[in-house]
Amino acid sequence: MEIATLAPILLVVLFGALALGLWVGFALIAVGLVAMILAAPAPAELVFATKVWGGLSVWGLTALPMFIWMGEILVRSRLSSDMFSGLAPFTARLPGKLLHVNVLACGLFAAVSGSSAATTATIGRMSLPELKARGYDERMAIGSLAGAGTFGFLIPPSIILIVYGAATEQSIARLFLAGVLPGALLAALFIGWIMIWSLMNAERMPEAEPPTDRREALRAMSRLLPVVGLIVAVIGSIYLGIASPTEAAVIGVTGALILAGATGALSWAGLADSLRAATVTTCMIAFILAGASFLTVAMGYTGIPRELARMIGEMGLSQYQLLAMLTVFFIVMGMFLDGISIVVLTVSIFLPMVTAAGIDPIWFGIFLVLVVEMSQITPPVGFNLFVIQTITGRDIFAVARYAIPFFLLLVLATAILSVFPGIALWLPSTMMSR
Amino acid sequence: LPVAAQSWDMPTPYGDSVFHTQNIMEFVADIEEATDLEITVHSAGSLYAHPEIKDSVRRGLAPMGEVLMSRLANEDPIFAVDSIPFLASSYEEGRALWEASRPMVEEKLAAQGLTLLFAVPWPGQSIYTQEPIESAADLEGASFRAYNAATERLAQLMGAVPTQIETGDIPTAFSTGRVDAMITSPSTGVSSQAWDFTSHYTDTQAWLPKNMVIVNSRALDGLDEATREAIMSAAAEAETRGWEMSAAETAAKMATLEENGMTISDPSETLSGELAEIGETMTAEWLDEAGDEGQQVVDAYEAKMSDM
Amino acid sequence: MRRLLDRLYAAALWLAAITFALIAVLVLAQILGRLTDRVARLLELPPPGLTIPSLAEFGAFLFTGAVFLGLAGTLQAGSHVRVKLLIRSLPEAVARWLGALVCLGAAGLAVFATWSSGLQVADSIAFDSVSYGMIPIPLAIPQGVMTAGLALFTVALVDSAVTLATGGQPGFDAAETRTERGD
Ligand code: NA
Ligand code: NA
Repeated sequence: MEIATLAPILLVVLFGALALGLWVGFALIAVGLVAMILAAPAPAELVFATKVWGGLSVWGLTALPMFIWMGEILVRSRLSSDMFSGLAPFTARLPGKLLHVNVLACGLFAAVSGSSAATTATIGRMSLPELKARGYDERMAIGSLAGAGTFGFLIPPSIILIVYGAATEQSIARLFLAGVLPGALLAALFIGWIMIWSLMNAERMPEAEPPTDRREALRAMSRLLPVVGLIVAVIGSIYLGIASPTEAAVIGVTGALILAGATGALSWAGLADSLRAATVTTCMIAFILAGASFLTVAMGYTGIPRELARMIGEMGLSQYQLLAMLTVFFIVMGMFLDGISIVVLTVSIFLPMVTAAGIDPIWFGIFLVLVVEMSQITPPVGFNLFVIQTITGRDIFAVARYAIPFFLLLVLATAILSVFPGIALWLPSTMMSR
Repeated sequence: LPVAAQSWDMPTPYGDSVFHTQNIMEFVADIEEATDLEITVHSAGSLYAHPEIKDSVRRGLAPMGEVLMSRLANEDPIFAVDSIPFLASSYEEGRALWEASRPMVEEKLAAQGLTLLFAVPWPGQSIYTQEPIESAADLEGASFRAYNAATERLAQLMGAVPTQIETGDIPTAFSTGRVDAMITSPSTGVSSQAWDFTSHYTDTQAWLPKNMVIVNSRALDGLDEATREAIMSAAAEAETRGWEMSAAETAAKMATLEENGMTISDPSETLSGELAEIGETMTAEWLDEAGDEGQQVVDAYEAKMSDM
Repeated sequence: MRRLLDRLYAAALWLAAITFALIAVLVLAQILGRLTDRVARLLELPPPGLTIPSLAEFGAFLFTGAVFLGLAGTLQAGSHVRVKLLIRSLPEAVARWLGALVCLGAAGLAVFATWSSGLQVADSIAFDSVSYGMIPIPLAIPQGVMTAGLALFTVALVDSAVTLATGGQPGFDAAETRTERGD
């Protein structure tokens, strides 16, 4: 079947299924099934289980329930609310105050987690209730979480850079280093925007917390220590060679349990409850991942992504035109497919094109991460949106609306990175031999 | 109705810059030129990932695919014959071993409804470390990357501690000290830029593992005879070309390793002796598992080698 | 019947939760083994080399099994994500019937998924498929768990459709309402 006929049919199925209120995972399966029946030579009933099984039985995914469980333990043990009291004195003079917590905490957490969904779920579970209780603007709290949650992919370790590095024979060590400064740039952009917004919307900011004297401030700071210690332990376990990035998640769970136990803040019922909550969130994300794997293989058979990529290749674009075109392509594709799938499906077509245009493949990996991050927060298929809907009950379209400024900042960061490629390439060139 | 040109999907595990993939691209181009068959290569696991490829071909989800032969070792020990350390550790020996084992491999695949088209070796597996190794004693107690039963046993026999490290995790594992040594081809060494995290390459060429291209026998039988013959002759050419590419690859990639500051050395006499002994142990252990069929293969291999 | 089904979903969810906890325990054992090796090396003793063979494969299978066992319970907990803009804007009676139809549609897709997964198990048994790592695990075992989880998910969706059609409130609906109210 011609792509010009097939693509609109699939879009109608996807939007129709979602609008009727079908669960997202099933909507993806439905689109995959229609695509397979209309355009694939292989039997859908055999492909589905093969791909879903293969897509989920991946060792790296086991970190997902672990990090989410860690967050659930911290929430129930009040360690997370202590952390917020501890942070308050630090941010009191900064325009935006505790709104910066999402950006800072996601940035820190991204250094241990390779996945954006895990970052968003873990930090959001702790920060959103606290920000709400303290009277912060919900839209800004949710938007900044949706945006900052995407750090999981950019700041090493990163699942997407591992996938890209494996597919294109690029050094994963270099890719990881290349992600560090762009991650910092993005965090700075987010922080800057939160400051500007809060200065412009002073009436929507909560009243200042009562001023604290130095002794109170010190006491508040001491409450930060347990959680900071935990994060240091998790990061440290990776860099001291005690745990792999996947295993480090278990250090997080163990540490959270020890802390909660030591402070007597977690009952057996609370422990069971935290495990159950982590299980439910993991199953939710994994079911959508299952649908996405099936849709991805169906797309591989239909050849839609390859065909579109080929069309871009035949346009004969200059370097900046090509990057602009690719950004648009990835934003549109990213609305419907998950980011990692898009990279897998198109990279072998784009990479020759990109290197022919004189673009460094390491730099292109970072560019891909940025556009994939965008796909995390664009509806209807965006994993950060799903995670935040689960936490807050706000609809994915509402969450996506709150995230628009952060989406635009991601686009801006992509533009800055295109003009100054050194932001990505400087660190790997200095830190690595040669 | 006119019969539409058949179009096939072909999943392969490795990326476009890997010589195996490039060889397959030429193989496919040869077929497309000679027949009406259109074949789309889905490289780098983009349609099916490596663990899924064999059963996908077997179940008819994709008519043709590429897979590392020794991935199937747990199904039948015959598939591991090219991964016994130091049984065949040069292209010449590897070629003789392949000739000796090919009928058995074809038979095993045929029993699964699969037809073997061709197989091409990776360059020999050599040891990457941060410190030079003069003898097995230098690896005593070191963490040695193991990714299957054979590499685990090899690590044990060298006195090292076998350690499981996922591919994407290798650079981190080396730089944080979770692993001290690995054994892999110069190709993988270059593609993972091993000089970023190791400095010594000891050229053991311990074994030459092969990728094989397989086709679903029913799908193959469904083609007309001219097309089948074209595929078979393209496959024969691809095998010859692939072995040449592999040998050229060995030299080129070792040069790249050296250019990037890695110290390349041949194994010392002590180490060679120790490794040969390990090879004999592991061949004997493999024969225990593979039984008469294994013995037939080894006998045929030894006969070929003594003819040379 | 109602209580039996609810207990079944809850039991499967707990089995999933315990499996995740088991992964944590195994990984922790692996890390402790590595620490032991490191201490031994510092003391210039031979490292005992305690590792859990095939942990990466084994952990991945446990993960997949747990995910599918937990699907039905996750549905009951109202945690599978969906868009309710249209349903919310419809009159109650219409929304109820639409909801029942959507549940039936989902059940149909779940039947497809279960069937597909069952075929995979049958093939894995026929092929004697085993995993690739150091310990050959018959793939039919974890894939069988996947099939069972999908079958239970199908049951839960049919159950929800029937509940909606007969005027009741399915578990996910009640739970979603609670989340939206912010409890
Ligand atoms: Na990360
Ligand atoms: Na999206």
